[in-house]
Amino acid sequence: MRSDLSVRNLVVNYGPVRALHGVSFDVPEGQVAALVGSNGAGKSTVLKSICGLLKPVEGEIRVGDELLQPRPGDPLRHGVALSPEGRRLFGQLSVEENLIMGSYAVRDKAARREMMDRVYGYFPRLKERRRQMAGSLSGGEQQMCAIGRALMALPRVLLLDEPSLGIAPIIVAELAVIIEEISRDMSMTVLLVEQNAQMALSIAATGVVLETGSVVLTGTGRELLESPEVRAAYLGT
Amino acid sequence: MSFLIAQSLINGVILGTLYLLMAIGFTLAFGVMRIVNFAHGEFYMIGAFCALIGVTWLGLPYPVTLALTIVFAILMGAVVERLVFRPFRNDELSGMIASLGLAMILQHGALILFGPDPQAFPAMVTGVFKWGALIVPKSRALALGIGIVILLIFYLFLMHTRHGRALRALVQDQEVAAVFGVRLEIMYPLGLGLGIALAAVAGGLMAPLFGVSPFIGATPLLKAFIVVILGGLGSIPGAALAAILLGLIESFTSSFISASAADIVTFALVIGVLLVRPAGLLGRAEA
Repeated sequence: MRSDLSVRNLVVNYGPVRALHGVSFDVPEGQVAALVGSNGAGKSTVLKSICGLLKPVEGEIRVGDELLQPRPGDPLRHGVALSPEGRRLFGQLSVEENLIMGSYAVRDKAARREMMDRVYGYFPRLKERRRQMAGSLSGGEQQMCAIGRALMALPRVLLLDEPSLGIAPIIVAELAVIIEEISRDMSMTVLLVEQNAQMALSIAATGVVLETGSVVLTGTGRELLESPEVRAAYLGT
Repeated sequence: MSFLIAQSLINGVILGTLYLLMAIGFTLAFGVMRIVNFAHGEFYMIGAFCALIGVTWLGLPYPVTLALTIVFAILMGAVVERLVFRPFRNDELSGMIASLGLAMILQHGALILFGPDPQAFPAMVTGVFKWGALIVPKSRALALGIGIVILLIFYLFLMHTRHGRALRALVQDQEVAAVFGVRLEIMYPLGLGLGIALAAVAGGLMAPLFGVSPFIGATPLLKAFIVVILGGLGSIPGAALAAILLGLIESFTSSFISASAADIVTFALVIGVLLVRPAGLLGRAEA
């Protein structure tokens, strides 16, 4: 299977502290991949590097055959969009304005409108609240808005950083179904970063397990869900 | 008595409009770039001199002069951002000190060029509007009218254009805005330039009322500072609320107590608000 996003030997430091020790993995085209691991394993560091928010010491990141430059804006040009950890909506802007900001760099008006309809289709609650300030939404609705905002960039690769964080379990289950749908409907490549390994691996075609800055396991979502190491470390069984 | 109330109301709104013109640029510079710009008042002064030069030296019509002042100020803002503020990005303290230095350079530059004496500005309109006992000089009505139109245009820009939306998004979260393609190297000079243009146009509008000298920037800066702190640093709706409030309080205190009491009341109010709401009326607590 063709790899859409490939990370090769990624080394990242935070000041004197090494956060990633040569991380490599591939995300196959048009599928959901999960990047799981405990708090502090380096998951967000990987995502921030992919988005150009962190400058790696070593290593390279490619979308298709294109090498990404480590500055914000360049990955976007190659079709990478992020729904950041903690959602980070523009709180004083309305829901719809947040979505419009998602396609700030998209020139094609028709494509933008079509995607907005799709986003409202996946998340009808956003449509109901589209004039409301994003900061006044509930946690689950904010997460929907953050995913919608990332979709509005018309990405080829969608990065979702901890969408389940601080959200009621019933909404997490709902989000998982929609994330799967999004990937299937638009054959979009999705990298799902999660502490909630159960949720992530159950919808992921492939998975990568990160521990203290290194990849320790890879496999299909099902393999990892059933592997004794993952069960012991992340699923508490 | 009721005419005195109406008169104070009108004067308060005029003051509030001036304060708002000053405060928006100040709060925008802070919200977008995290710069406390102590040179902001000097751009008010420069705007007043631009108007003076345009109207008396070049003999241009007043509206044309104001338009040129705006263009000049936007360009100057872009240059200042590049030369003075860009080296201190993400360094609030040094940026603030640089802005103090810039204020001195601008004020003393004006002193060298124009001398210390106040210059008279010719009246743009004469006469008064009278409704019964209520009197509004036409010169004040003109300043108020143009000021409100400019504020409205700026509001529409901020709320309904791509760049305006991007500026507001930047105030909320720079990193995320950059991830979605907002280019800081364009938005910073634009934000600072527009803010400075509002200060300059305020100077140009007030010049016929208050005269022109190199020292006129200090008071508007102080008022902008109060408005922005009162409204919540970085919050534009907060600035709007605080500017009108401040204008009305000053005007009513001057009418019913005395002009010198106005400043006392104002500062007492600011201290009171900050004790109850340290982030300002509509401000958010810093994370």
